[in-house]
Amino acid sequence: MIAFTDIVGMDLAKQALMLLAVDPSLGGVVIPSTVGSGKSTLARAFADILPEGTPFVELPLNVTEDRLIGGVDLEATLASGQRVVQHGVLSKAHKGVLYVDSLSLLDSSAVSHIMDAMSRGAVIVEREGLSEVHPADFMLVGTYDPSDGEVRMGLLDRIGIIVPFTPVNDYRARKQIVNIVMGTRDEEDTQDELRMLRGLIDAAREQLHKVSMTNEQIKGLIQTAISLGVEGNRVDIFAIRAAIANAALSQRTEVDDEDLKLAMKLVLVPRATRMPEREPNPEEMAQDEPPPQEEQPQDEAEDQNAPPDETDSNAEEEQEETPDMIEELMMDAVETELPDNILNISLASKKKAKSGSRGEALNNKRGRFVRSQPGEIKSGKVALIPTLISAAPWQASRKAEQAKKGIKSTAALIIGKEDVKIKRFRDKSGTLFIFMVDASGSMALNRMRQAKGAVASLLQNAYVHRDQVSLISFRGKQAQVLLPPSQSVDRAKRELDVLPTGGGTPLASALLTGWETAKQARTKGITQIMFVMITDGRGNIPLGAAYDPNATKAPKEELEKEVEALALSIQADGIASIVVDTQMNYLSRGEAPKLAQKLGGRYFYLPNAKAEQIVEAALS
Amino acid sequence: MTQTAKAAKKTTSAKASAAKEAKVKATAEEKAVTEVKKPAAKKKSALAFPFTAIVGQEEMKLSLILNIIDPRIGGVLVMGHRGTGKSTTVRALAEVLPLIPRVKGDIYNRTVEQYIEMEAAGKGAPAIKPEDVKTEMIPVPVVDLPLGATEDRVCGTIDIEKALTSGVKAFEPGLLAQSNRGFLYIDEVNLLDDHLVDVLLDVAASGKNVVEREGISIRHPARFVLVGSGNPEEGELRPQLLDRFGLHARIITINDVAKRVQIVKLRREYDEDPEAFMKKVSREQQKLQKKIVAAQQLLPQVTMDDAVLTDIAKLCMNLGIDGHRGELTITRTAHAYAAWEGDKEVTMKHVREIAGLCLRHRLRKDPLETVDAGEKIDRELAKVLGEAEAAA
Repeated sequence: MIAFTDIVGMDLAKQALMLLAVDPSLGGVVIPSTVGSGKSTLARAFADILPEGTPFVELPLNVTEDRLIGGVDLEATLASGQRVVQHGVLSKAHKGVLYVDSLSLLDSSAVSHIMDAMSRGAVIVEREGLSEVHPADFMLVGTYDPSDGEVRMGLLDRIGIIVPFTPVNDYRARKQIVNIVMGTRDEEDTQDELRMLRGLIDAAREQLHKVSMTNEQIKGLIQTAISLGVEGNRVDIFAIRAAIANAALSQRTEVDDEDLKLAMKLVLVPRATRMPEREPNPEEMAQDEPPPQEEQPQDEAEDQNAPPDETDSNAEEEQEETPDMIEELMMDAVETELPDNILNISLASKKKAKSGSRGEALNNKRGRFVRSQPGEIKSGKVALIPTLISAAPWQASRKAEQAKKGIKSTAALIIGKEDVKIKRFRDKSGTLFIFMVDASGSMALNRMRQAKGAVASLLQNAYVHRDQVSLISFRGKQAQVLLPPSQSVDRAKRELDVLPTGGGTPLASALLTGWETAKQARTKGITQIMFVMITDGRGNIPLGAAYDPNATKAPKEELEKEVEALALSIQADGIASIVVDTQMNYLSRGEAPKLAQKLGGRYFYLPNAKAEQIVEAALS
Repeated sequence: MTQTAKAAKKTTSAKASAAKEAKVKATAEEKAVTEVKKPAAKKKSALAFPFTAIVGQEEMKLSLILNIIDPRIGGVLVMGHRGTGKSTTVRALAEVLPLIPRVKGDIYNRTVEQYIEMEAAGKGAPAIKPEDVKTEMIPVPVVDLPLGATEDRVCGTIDIEKALTSGVKAFEPGLLAQSNRGFLYIDEVNLLDDHLVDVLLDVAASGKNVVEREGISIRHPARFVLVGSGNPEEGELRPQLLDRFGLHARIITINDVAKRVQIVKLRREYDEDPEAFMKKVSREQQKLQKKIVAAQQLLPQVTMDDAVLTDIAKLCMNLGIDGHRGELTITRTAHAYAAWEGDKEVTMKHVREIAGLCLRHRLRKDPLETVDAGEKIDRELAKVLGEAEAAA
């Protein structure tokens, strides 16, 4: 076990956890980081700096609703003849830490329950004849690899601190981490350091109520939040708490610029939806995921990780500052301290999925058992324990009735049709439709409007059937995920509205991006996936163009080879496809039908195919 | 962990529910085998942030208030940005709700009339005289329906302990019983499991909850104001459920710095000392409650001219709204709004204020539509109003 103080690097994450230890009402800390960066080691070491006896509960990813919320303990109930309640994982974390590794892979219903518990500070159990409230006021510490997918924004909204994502590419940092893992530290030193740190945090907790913050400082934080286009008003409180906690940690009684900067870095910036210098735009405000950009090396990573200065505050000067000045000062800090591609390193960051990541390990599962519900034996897998639970209470009365009728039963348990509970898997929630819309220059000629219309009716239909949709556009050098899988037709509509066209047709990139989206969805239990490709089928940009700007030209055969290989793999992966051809007749060379054939999917020619027909085909 | 340690961690709720138990007369034919039990373990409601201290979000607050004044409006759906106080506002509602009379100790919160009608329905049951039924005043119930609720807890089911220990089939009412004549609140309503949505739709349409199982046959009134909230980006609502909501309030991030500073200040003050804070606002809270009660009392006297009704119908027609629920909701809501404003006559001025709330979610959904639903309603409203003025 590696101690908190032994971990080098990740200074910002460490600082974040210390703030949380000082003020648990910050709700939690989320640490996005790549595989092998030591994020989970750090998160587990968090227990070191908490007061002794603080619960630390790790949430298993495949947790069922029963275990999460709590319910009837069948074994104990049958043994005692009295209802025995088993508390769920959430309530076991009360007054302590709930730790989730790979937060972005957590099942969406589990995420909903965590959100609910965080908003109430309690779990309401209304299940299987139980009606109870279990306190569940916990700090959520989550780590995840952004290449596994993103964490739901609703959950992030309830978590105070989000550590900015900094990929560990730095050779030196890696070496340091390795050194630590190899363990060269003296145990006694470690214990001393931990004691000191705990002392520091205890003192900071005492100090917390004594820290004051000026009106101007509060206004400054709020203005920054607005300038960054952060959604919601809850962040204001989190930012203020973070600033105060940091001041308390430095044993100050007044919040200073360093505190404000840190609060901005850990609370506001990771939620930014736009760059500060742009004019406010209501459409943008609601967007939480700006388009991904190409990854750039982060030279500034080290500066950024530097812990805040603990020198004396310049409190007197601050009193004179107006909120505008403070905001400006903080904006300066954003610009100088953070890399240019701020939106890129924030949560919006998208990276190529790596094989061998945790997401893949779960791939083979056919959906996830989430809960049981009444049903017929034939209609699904019987959930044995819930069935027994629901049959148990009736045993006495059923036996009495049978005795009355003169039936002598030797059965230990009498189970009726109504008792049967069947398992419900996550993948029953519907199909994921991945729309891939060709937005290349040639589409301008090819009825983009009708294509949008077809997508619109499909979306509307998906909405009725509670299917999920994802939107990928492809133009220029590579495909882009405009909308990760969601049930929001609203967002798909917005993205579609502003879809720009022009540039080349990176068809292979579209297939690859779609396939990756599909794989991620599979790890979340969605098994039925359908590609809906709206294109003329004329790819002319190779996969390599995304990485090498000079590689935009490639021989036709090579392009076809790429597309074919991907199409075959996609087909082999059990993904259904529909290709909607938008090509004008007189231009067509039959590329789109060929694509459909390679994908083993159905082909539609748009002017002839009514949107309803496509919908029908998609659903059949 | 050892077996004993495990056992120690578990708690039994036997004691709590046994203490709460109170027998209530069941319908005549089931009396022999069915007993009805009080809802288990009454929840201790923690202090909620007070309604009157919530800054901004007037649309949502008004929608909730109008539903208190006239529960027949059909509830409200609050959709919007994260972290904007949706659930805080709904949970704050309980404190400003007026009291209602119910039959003493009745788990279904029935009125004397409902009680007599139901209880005397069994063959050969003796008639119950209204003056023999004791009543009590209770605050309008606000029941939280969590996402993880199972169907049996929503509708009610057999009392497990009783059944296990004595073999008696006792009915334990569910959340629907508790919410009768009150509010049923579902946070993240767009994520609610489909089979629970089906149950809700069924009950909302009939106003009754029916549980039939092995000799248990319970039928009780379940009329509630459905309040749902959620973030549209997390998922869409089933159209059938959407249609059930009378009003649709939208809520967005407040971008006014002064207001946000005020929100933060009030929140911090509350966190520091909730009880002192509640005391400070108690006057405002009482004032609001009184105003709501006054509006409720005024409501039966509010009238509406036929011309206004014609205009409402025109508006709905021009907007292409199917069915008549649109007109009906506008009419009811406009009455409630007039009462809230202290006016005895509904005019188009009232209609204008609430039309968006009533119609927003009833417009045909077109994913490619760029015009905001609210704007569209305003535009049509202006047309109808223009016509009305020209005619006059």
